[in-house]
Amino acid sequence: MTSLRFRLLFGTLFWIAASVLVAGWGLGRLFHQHVSAQFHAELQTHLDQLTAHLEIDDQGRPTLNLPLGDPRFDKPFSGLYWQIDRLSEAGVPASGAALRSRSLWDQALAIPANALADGEVHQHRIIGPRGAMLGAVERSLTLEDRPLQLIVAADERLMIEPVARFKGELWLALGVLGFGLALAALLQVFVGLAPLRKLQAALGRVRDGQAQRMEGRFPSELTPLVTEFNSVLMQNAEVVARARTQAGNLAHALKTPLSVLANAADAPENRNTDLARLVAAQIETARKQVDYHLARAQAVATARLPGARTPVEPVVEGLLRTMRRIHAGRGLELHVEPMPSSLAFRGEEHDLQEMLGNLIDNACKWARSRVEIRAHDGQGRLLVSVDDDGKGVAAGQRDAILRRGVRADEQVAGTGLGLAIVGDLAHMYGGSLMLADSPLGGLRAVLSLASAR
Amino acid sequence: MRILVVEDEPTLAAQLVEGVNAAGYVTDRAGNGVDAHFMGDTEPYDAVVLDLGLPQMDGITVLRKWRAAGRTMPVLILTARDSWHEKVAGIDAGADDYLTKPFHMEELLARLRALIRRAGGHAGAELVCGPLTLDTRSSRARVSGQALSLTSHEYRVLAYLMHHRGEIVSRSELIQHIYAQDFDRDSNTIEVFVGRLRKKLPPDLIETVRGLGYRLACWS
Repeated sequence: MTSLRFRLLFGTLFWIAASVLVAGWGLGRLFHQHVSAQFHAELQTHLDQLTAHLEIDDQGRPTLNLPLGDPRFDKPFSGLYWQIDRLSEAGVPASGAALRSRSLWDQALAIPANALADGEVHQHRIIGPRGAMLGAVERSLTLEDRPLQLIVAADERLMIEPVARFKGELWLALGVLGFGLALAALLQVFVGLAPLRKLQAALGRVRDGQAQRMEGRFPSELTPLVTEFNSVLMQNAEVVARARTQAGNLAHALKTPLSVLANAADAPENRNTDLARLVAAQIETARKQVDYHLARAQAVATARLPGARTPVEPVVEGLLRTMRRIHAGRGLELHVEPMPSSLAFRGEEHDLQEMLGNLIDNACKWARSRVEIRAHDGQGRLLVSVDDDGKGVAAGQRDAILRRGVRADEQVAGTGLGLAIVGDLAHMYGGSLMLADSPLGGLRAVLSLASAR
Repeated sequence: MRILVVEDEPTLAAQLVEGVNAAGYVTDRAGNGVDAHFMGDTEPYDAVVLDLGLPQMDGITVLRKWRAAGRTMPVLILTARDSWHEKVAGIDAGADDYLTKPFHMEELLARLRALIRRAGGHAGAELVCGPLTLDTRSSRARVSGQALSLTSHEYRVLAYLMHHRGEIVSRSELIQHIYAQDFDRDSNTIEVFVGRLRKKLPPDLIETVRGLGYRLACWS
């Protein structure tokens, strides 16, 4: 019952079924009553006709002065019968019918004993010829002092058959109606709930980073929701931008004095004193801490932000332009395997730049002559590998490198936090960083991240 | 070699100027983006050290404006923000190298030397012209292995000629590159410096091109 569509459909279909059933039962019953009334009215008409044609002949026997109009009275066992009995003084039929229709052939109708006032009409259900159920009307009357009982009976099948036929057609018609209504309900639910599906799709695009906000026109009932959601998204983006600016300002505010201190400690008159060495070491520690925590603080703010989608190719190209400048003196060959332009990272551009920048920069620092970068989509994961032909890292040391602040070789310039930050950022985005041996001879770093469609 | 140092923090700016001067360059100093842009746009600097967080106009904008106006001097960006986003933005705006604060003065000078060398099309730290060698790292000149004793002005004239060896360098160009902006310039002093240099160098190394200027003639 968690689906709105299912709820609506279930309710509607239940009521359609109930209505069709009640209508079928009620209409069938109504028709049955109508046909039954008509049946008995017809019997009554025949009885009246029989009464009108009845005479007593010279021998005192009842006779008809005219045959009854309906030909079925003359056809044996046609289902329509009449019979005239003489009644005894006690009002009981004397044995042997006085007169009966040809259709009864050698049979007689047996009416339960009852006393009727003259002219009164009774209805009965009796068993007739060949065991058929008959509907019968009887009337007693006294003609020339002779009490007589007149019976007209008809096979109930004459009544049941049209009712059954009607009911068959009725159920067929109601079935078609019910089916049509169900179809209409289905369509209505489908059309009526279409905006919800659209909402879901728009939300999906935002989550996948294909859209920054929920786009499209929505019905007035949903518009407030969409507007509210978009404004929350926008506020989030503003908060992130502000956090980033503040982080930058903090970095600037902290590092400029650190630079002044470092330069003062490094001045010729102070150089190589214990104080200068202490200051230099502490400044280095402070700088590492500031860098590390700023990068983390930014990523924490952005990793949970929906709506971010960053194509990989431009980021890699921008970083390569930068690396070629920064490492211009090294004569490195930086090679990028062609990648599809649709390849994208589900996250912020800054963070992808930070991760790939640190990986490629690290590779450039250690490479002898060549760095290779590959990116592809593997089952919904964005996989980027960076290879270098440097001296590599022993398997036992790789874990230590990924831990904060440890550097494989303190001789090469760098924070020693580069790979640790990459690992941390990747982790925040639900990804991972793995280190392995490169076929080029050095280190291979493989970054696995969520890819965006 | 004349360097523009752009840094808004006065103490750090003073340290930078001191460090760069000590390495044998002359420096001008700008404390905000607008001044920096004007100076870089009108004076011929051999390199610029540019802080990104500047008042009035940020460093990236200054750099973009220079590049858009066709200023090609090498620019070393100095910034507090150690993010790759900013490094890429800086390089794409036209920077040649990047250094994050806090930095070691030696590293800044090494990068500055490399930028100036690369801008002149030179690969190594040592510039050679016939028997004359100039080590840009130590700011020393030698002739056939014998160290020359040069004043700072003589060194600057020689260094500029060495970076542009084979080219004709006019007197006014020399003046612009060996004096800071606020210095009282006198074109006659150039002739004095060149005259003193000629006495210390092998004859005919510095040619006078009549009406145009000087040229360092290097025979292999």
